[in-house]
This record gives sequence, structure tokens and C-alpha cells, in this order.
Amino acid sequence: MLQLLAVVFFGLAAVWFGLAVFLTRSMVRSALSLLFSMAAVGAVFLTMEAEFLGVLQLMMMGTEMAIMAIFMVMYMMDPGGMSQMDMTHQKRLSIAVGAMAGVAASAVALLADWGPVAEAMPDPTAQNRGLGIELMERSMLIFETAGVTILVAMVAATAVAIGRRR
Amino acid sequence: MTTLLVALTIGAVLFGIGLYGALSQTNLVMIMMGVELMLGAATVNLVAFWRFLHPDAYSGQMFVLIVMTVMALEMAVGFGVATSRFRATGSVEMEEAAELKG
Repeated sequence: MLQLLAVVFFGLAAVWFGLAVFLTRSMVRSALSLLFSMAAVGAVFLTMEAEFLGVLQLMMMGTEMAIMAIFMVMYMMDPGGMSQMDMTHQKRLSIAVGAMAGVAASAVALLADWGPVAEAMPDPTAQNRGLGIELMERSMLIFETAGVTILVAMVAATAVAIGRRR
Repeated sequence: MTTLLVALTIGAVLFGIGLYGALSQTNLVMIMMGVELMLGAATVNLVAFWRFLHPDAYSGQMFVLIVMTVMALEMAVGFGVATSRFRATGSVEMEEAAELKG
């Protein structure tokens, strides 16, 4: 019961802050709202007893959104939202598509037969051990591929961002 | 079962909000925020599936790690493109990027 209440509370917080990202005109508030939404998602992970992923989400998103806020202030024409510029287009279509996607996914979630629900959970130590063994055995190739992809993305992002020399 | 359904519904709503943001915003950084929300919604679903359906199979957690990696990569490459675009045109407004169409 307590777990359900916590998931509802942090889930609603994630949805509310997710909406606030696109409702505010201030870019700094947008970035902070996304940070809070992602932190609430991390809290949902923790309440669902995925301790490692919850802490990872909080740490990653904290730094990621802080960097995003800096970029937003750098690149936006009106980062404070003082001039009330409207930076949206095809609004009705976007609302319709977003609502349809949300409703369709919710319908699948509520109507599908998910089978029996597991009540017992491995304790956090067993979870970390199990994930470590998964990473080093069955999913090692995927893990290594992710590492190489990160390296490629770092080089690509740097190469794209460096200006042409004359 | 109720907690699983609540978590999946929250993921669905977050995905809808992210899709709205990715489609409606004109600024590259805001579009990336929408994509981040969609990926965040996917991770909520994956953790819920792992916790309530297969807690002994750690490939579910592995999948979440890969999605988190994709989120970080999307940010890194997106900001690289934004920096390049800003240097070239002084703006990251995507309505001014019609020349990128094929």
C-alpha cells in the first residue's frame, strides 16, 4: 500500500513537472522542471525497489539537466521568458498526437493481461550482484557496444561542435 | 497489480507529454527535452516490467542502462549540432533550418 502511494505521488510529480517544462516561457524554469521530473522518475525507481537504477537516474539527470540549463541560457533568444515569445508551432496537431499516444499507451497498459505479478523481490545486494553478473556474462557484448558508442558519440559531438578553421 | 498499472499509466502520460513537446517546440534544445521525457517514460515502463513481472531477470535493468546511455548520447550529439548551428546562423530555431530538408 505504501509503495502504491509513493509511486502515485512521485509519478504525479513527474507528470506535473513534465508538463511544466512546456508550459513555462522561462528556459531556466523549463530546465529545472525537467530536472525535477527526472528526479521524480528516479524516486519512482527507488520506490519500485530498483535502488541502483534510482540512484543512477538521480545522479545522471542532476548533472545532465544542469548542463542543459547552461546550454539553454547560451543559445535561447529569450532565456528568461521576459518578452513572452511564443516558441511553438503546429500546436493543435501536437496536442492531438500527444494525447492520442498517451491514451493509446494507457489503454494498452490497463487492458492487457500482464499475467501473475511477482511479490517477492531480491534484496539490493542480490540485485547488484545479479546485475553485475548480467553485465559481465550474458550482456557483455551489449555493454561493450554501449561503451564504444559513447566514445564514438563523444568524438562526433566534438567534431561537429568545433568550428571550421580558416 | 495496481502498482504496475499505475506505473505503466504514468509512463504512458509522460510519453504523451514528451511527444507533444518534441512536435510542438521550435527550438532544438526544447525538442531534445521532449525526447528526454519520452525516453524517461520508457525507463519507467521497463523498471515496472522488471519489478512486477520478472524481478529475477536482470536483462530488464540492463535495458534501462542502455536507454540511459541513449539519453546521454542524444544530449551530447544534440548539443554538438546546436553549437554548430548556432555558430553558422546565430540561432537554434528549427523553423529557420528548412535548408536541411533533403
